[in-house]
Amino acid sequence: MNIKSMGVGRLLVCLGVLGWFGLINPARAIPAFARQTGQACVACHVSFPELTPYGRMFKLSGYTIGTRQALPLALMAQFGVTHVRNNRDDQGQKIVPKTDKPVLSAASVFAGGKITDNIGGWIQWTYNNLAGNGDVGHSGIDNTDLRVVGRSENTDNTDMRWLYGLTVNNNPTVQDVWNSTPAFGFPFTTPPNGIGAAAATMLDGQLGQQVAGVGGYVYWNRTVYVELSGYQTADGFFAPLRAGTDTQTPGGVHRLSGVDPYWRVAWNREWGADSLMVGAYGGHFRVYPDNTLPYTDTDRFTDIAVDAQFQHISQDHTYTFQYTHIHENQDYRASYPATLAGAPIGAGPAPANAHDTLITDKLKGTYYFDRKYGATLSVVRTHGTADAGLYAPGSVGGSVNGRPDTQGYILELDYLPQQNVRLMLQYYGYSKFNGSRRNYDGSGRPASDNNTLFANIWLVY
Amino acid sequence: MKRIRVGLATLACLFAALDGTAFAASGATSASDDAAIKLATQVCSSCHGPGGDSQSPTFPRLAGQQQAYVSAQIKAFKSGARNEQEAHDYMLGMTTLIDDATAESLARYFASQPHPKGIPGDPAAMAAGKKIFEQGIPGQVVACATCHGAHAEGNGIFPRLADQHEAYIVRQLTVIQRNLRNSPVMHGIIKNLTPEEMKNVATYLQSL
Repeated sequence: MNIKSMGVGRLLVCLGVLGWFGLINPARAIPAFARQTGQACVACHVSFPELTPYGRMFKLSGYTIGTRQALPLALMAQFGVTHVRNNRDDQGQKIVPKTDKPVLSAASVFAGGKITDNIGGWIQWTYNNLAGNGDVGHSGIDNTDLRVVGRSENTDNTDMRWLYGLTVNNNPTVQDVWNSTPAFGFPFTTPPNGIGAAAATMLDGQLGQQVAGVGGYVYWNRTVYVELSGYQTADGFFAPLRAGTDTQTPGGVHRLSGVDPYWRVAWNREWGADSLMVGAYGGHFRVYPDNTLPYTDTDRFTDIAVDAQFQHISQDHTYTFQYTHIHENQDYRASYPATLAGAPIGAGPAPANAHDTLITDKLKGTYYFDRKYGATLSVVRTHGTADAGLYAPGSVGGSVNGRPDTQGYILELDYLPQQNVRLMLQYYGYSKFNGSRRNYDGSGRPASDNNTLFANIWLVY
Repeated sequence: MKRIRVGLATLACLFAALDGTAFAASGATSASDDAAIKLATQVCSSCHGPGGDSQSPTFPRLAGQQQAYVSAQIKAFKSGARNEQEAHDYMLGMTTLIDDATAESLARYFASQPHPKGIPGDPAAMAAGKKIFEQGIPGQVVACATCHGAHAEGNGIFPRLADQHEAYIVRQLTVIQRNLRNSPVMHGIIKNLTPEEMKNVATYLQSL
């Protein structure tokens, strides 16, 4: 632990925050929704943020159960140490900053909860301490979900028949209540300074905090869920939903044309201590190749995904499984002809093919004892069409064979001494990275050099 | 004329009885009854199931439960008198939202719901549990039926135990025995019950 390198000021801040968390009453050390309902975290979460059946109902009910709070705020902070197996590129230069020493990676403020019996939501504002190259902190809006809901009882007044609502959010799948979809899928937090793979599907986190979605959903008899939303670039009235996101620099973010559809269906069943969901979701997105040139033709990305979740939640032993398969059809109807003509559109992609596919599979299993000691194993695989234009060779971030294929596993161990404190150890092991196992980047780097160990303290209050 | 008076009296008794039992079918409900229906269908049912017929054994079945018992438990959760971990984690906050009139209406609502069917378990365990329930353990445990009724139907503040989740009953017996749930009378009665005996009794009760 390199305390000296943290600087006295940061050390004092860290100690102050830790001291503050230490002083709070454990029985009350729970965030805004818990204060609103008076319930403990375990009522809604297997372990945050994975939801229990009741947690799913709370979310679908628009976060309106309980009593409106005068100060509906919650805080979150993460302190961690990241170790990358080989954090030097082929030139001996450091790849990602601030590894092997404790850093405050991020802190968030949440404003969330019930506004009326039918209106509720939450807004997260996050300070990322390792933004850019890790030297400058940056803050901006994070996940946000605002809802208006309605309900009706069945004829014998024993249960809800219809639960329906509107959601306004800024990240496709953030509104979903099953943890098999990307926004709240595993891993729930990642190393702030790990090495990321080259390819991900649009629904797998590529649009978060850049778009505004407005959607309607119905949940019938706690069994069938149907949702249809429209996503557009968060401009004008919706601009606060992307506050802090740099949309003016070419590249980096995705700018959508018009309102693009996102859909979701799910079948849910609960019996005994078990619950099962089988579902599908997808979207069709028209994306400007260069986000700063919103008048060119657009490329089209069509994602179709299936997912499933099983949970067994009991007093001592809790185990859960989530799976999703996302198939993305990439239609470069704007970028490909422009690339062929020798004039790629701005900072947009320069694909070698008119059409590509990209497929992601994620399978995760979690076990918790006493809702306190947990272990999770996840296997992840992304693969697709070889496209040397999209995935060109390049030190660390490139691909020698032009393939987007990355696969590996994530092992996580958790200990929650209190329901709002998580001590976690994560390990990312890669068997393939950007296309291959050995010399994947064309500069001699093996995939396993990106293996990452992440020790993290995650606090919410 | 006498026959008409007898008929009217009978009708009055019938209405009085219906008023106390057929909660949801009564049509004209008071404000607290409306609030209770709303709570029961929109909130309670998420854990306790439709009409109190819960699926998860973490949460007790409330359908057909004794009205006085449900009412007393809501008050105990609310005041903190019922203090096991689950009471704190799940029910303390929820019950602080419920005023006394709504608590009574909720209790009446759940008491009026048809109780669920029992779930048979291991025959040997059920037989052993039945014996304890009906006869007790000489010199150690009083027969449960003494207070909870011959068919475990409950009586006033003594809860209905028939068709309750086995795991929930075992958990309650455990926390009462360890004094994690404050229930001095029950603690005295079951303090010598072994884990196997608890499971047998619970298996029997779940089957009723």
